Amino acid sequence: MYAIFKREFLSYFRTPVGYVAMAIFTFISGFIFYSLFSTGIVNISEEIISLRALFIVIIPIITMGMFAEDRKRGTEVLYYANPVDLFSVVFSKFLAAILLCFVMFINVFIHIIVVAACGGEIGIGVFGSVLVFFFMAALFIAIGIFASVITDNQIISAILTFIFILVIQLMSMIGSYIGTFVSTIMAYMGLSNVTRQSAQSAVSGAISWFDPFAKTYEFRNGTFSVSALVFCLSFAIFFLYLSFRILEKKRWSQK
Amino acid sequence: MIEIKNLVKHYGDIKALNGISFTVKDNEILGFLGPNGAGKSTTMNIITGYLSSTSGIVKINGHDILTEPDLAKKDIGYLPEQPPLYLDMTVTEYLKFICELKGVPKKDHKEHMEQIMNMVGINLVAGRLIGNLSKGYKQRVGIAQALVGDPPILILDEPTVGLDPNQIIGIRKLIKALSKNHSIIVSSHILSEIQEIADRVVIIHRGKIAAVDTIKDLSQRLSGSNKLKLSFKGPAKEAAARLKMVPGVKDVVIKTASGISEVDIELVENATNEVRANITMTMAKSGWPVLEFRSLDPSLEEVFMSVTSG
Repeated sequence: MYAIFKREFLSYFRTPVGYVAMAIFTFISGFIFYSLFSTGIVNISEEIISLRALFIVIIPIITMGMFAEDRKRGTEVLYYANPVDLFSVVFSKFLAAILLCFVMFINVFIHIIVVAACGGEIGIGVFGSVLVFFFMAALFIAIGIFASVITDNQIISAILTFIFILVIQLMSMIGSYIGTFVSTIMAYMGLSNVTRQSAQSAVSGAISWFDPFAKTYEFRNGTFSVSALVFCLSFAIFFLYLSFRILEKKRWSQK
Repeated sequence: MIEIKNLVKHYGDIKALNGISFTVKDNEILGFLGPNGAGKSTTMNIITGYLSSTSGIVKINGHDILTEPDLAKKDIGYLPEQPPLYLDMTVTEYLKFICELKGVPKKDHKEHMEQIMNMVGINLVAGRLIGNLSKGYKQRVGIAQALVGDPPILILDEPTVGLDPNQIIGIRKLIKALSKNHSIIVSSHILSEIQEIADRVVIIHRGKIAAVDTIKDLSQRLSGSNKLKLSFKGPAKEAAARLKMVPGVKDVVIKTASGISEVDIELVENATNEVRANITMTMAKSGWPVLEFRSLDPSLEEVFMSVTSG
């Protein structure tokens, strides 16, 4: 397992992928830090939260080739024809991507040191934001791996990951739209205002329950929620397990 | 030892394999022969666990590939049709990765890799990126990959594809040498190649076994080939008419009539060398210089016809 993890992590730096992802991240985080710094008030939590918006670009880049590329160049055989467990293959690749995120994040740690050195305050909220950053990265990477498993094409895999992450980012908004839609339909059906309102809030509430951004909102203020972290982690494991099952199923495919 | 029983694989409505059974004994080279699309690669993929069969049993040294995959896979070195190479790694890095994947103890890595690289002749390119190597070298790195961990069973899917004649001879020698303590399956669609190295041959055709034979028997069966090719300077029609008169000649077909004439001559069954001598004598007497005179190798299709018909 360690062998695959090491190979995957180093392969980011044998190809431009790792450098591109790091360059984007470093540039944007540097720019945000600079903008905050020039106003005189630096809130590291704010920087980290803004950086989360970059997931939609960076995660597809680092996960798109993970399995799609293996299949294309025929190296997939190595996982099937050697005594290695397929789940450990999936998990090793997942850990390699997490480690890459960690390496990217070093730039933010430097910012934290700078703020501390300038006499700024590093509160528990910053710790919370860092925690959320990595848990959310784990969730999105797992989704990216899943997208890479279901297609042979890197570009399609990247686009799928992009769409997945976009939908998750807009989850609350989508929830409220669908809620309004349901309420409108009920109005045509002639239902009372009270029923409509409760239906609307139930539907939008149910959909936005899946929004990891809303779940982890309070972390920046230092209010931690274990359930939010468990939510991210369990969804990550769910997607990894799904990827593993699909890989295993491919052997049995009769098409 | 590999035991394969009643292997069936469906792809949609197509039966890629339809009841393949054979065994490979210890320290034996089994040639796996068949035209493109016969099911060679599918069979090999199933033996190595890359694919699963629709039904049937594969046992590697007594371990079933489905119920005890780790034990079975430990004993197999596999070179697929497309060598599984990471083009962004150097040869050494790649082989080290395979060592780790196969669980070779870390302290043995260096020695083991050096030994393998010497064996397949890639020590000169050890530090180069695989992506920059020629096809022949890539193929050899693929073979090296199969040898890592010293598995007792080797499965090589067309190992000599893309190699130049010298390298082909080198690989054949290597396979012969390995067969002293390995069971090897080598696939090919080239008859002569299998004839050179294999002890036994399995011929498959359209997902079914057409023949299982020792090389000796197969050669005997094929030496009954009684077609000759003759090219000469002279009139084709006239020559054909005269050659037909030679006792032992069954039929003469004119291939090329203008310029240098070419005819295919079919001899009667069990024709002796006397017949061939008579043919050249006839040509000499007529004053038509012979440019080429050889027996026609049977094509793979003819081999199938021959083995399936009797």
